[in-house]
Amino acid sequence: MNEWLIATLVVLAALGPCLWVAAREEAIEGLVGLNLAGVLASIALLLMAEGFQRQPFADLALVLALLSLAGSLAYARFLERRL
Amino acid sequence: MNVLATESPGPLADVVVAALLVLACALIVLSALGVALMRGVYDRLHYTGPATLAAALVAAAVVVRESFSLIGDKAILLAVLLLVSAPLLAHVTARAARIREHGDWALRPDDGVEVEEP
Repeated sequence: MNEWLIATLVVLAALGPCLWVAAREEAIEGLVGLNLAGVLASIALLLMAEGFQRQPFADLALVLALLSLAGSLAYARFLERRL
Repeated sequence: MNVLATESPGPLADVVVAALLVLACALIVLSALGVALMRGVYDRLHYTGPATLAAALVAAAVVVRESFSLIGDKAILLAVLLLVSAPLLAHVTARAARIREHGDWALRPDDGVEVEEP
């Protein structure tokens, strides 16, 4: 296991609190957890691309960052309404 | 070929990469703990910022190791994308939270902000 994969484990562990907030708190606070989880998952994919020497994983990181941005924008627009 | 063994450009680069990764991990843990422990959407939002800085540090580590190769360029692109989208997401989320609270996001008299009329 190299330094990149160790960093990947740290990032994946940091996803836990984000998912906890997204699952347990109020919807708009959960959106903050979702935002951070998207960023962390992209970083984890980039670290895995370097750690496993598999360059296509970096494409996944880019696609995830774009889709995470679009998804968060859609959620934010939806959550502007009072449910 | 062992896929877990990355080629090292030199001992100094190893130290720099390790330092950048440790700093990035520290920022990421700080971000995650801040989002989890703070109360209220505005307080939590402040802690999403350091994670994007961590993305820039990870991209810098990849560039130090791989130079401006294909994956190095992708890492820079990802860091730029995250750095640009983070303020946008923070603003949109705070705007949604304020609209949920007050019905719109216009300035209110009890906000304590003085606006000069033109």
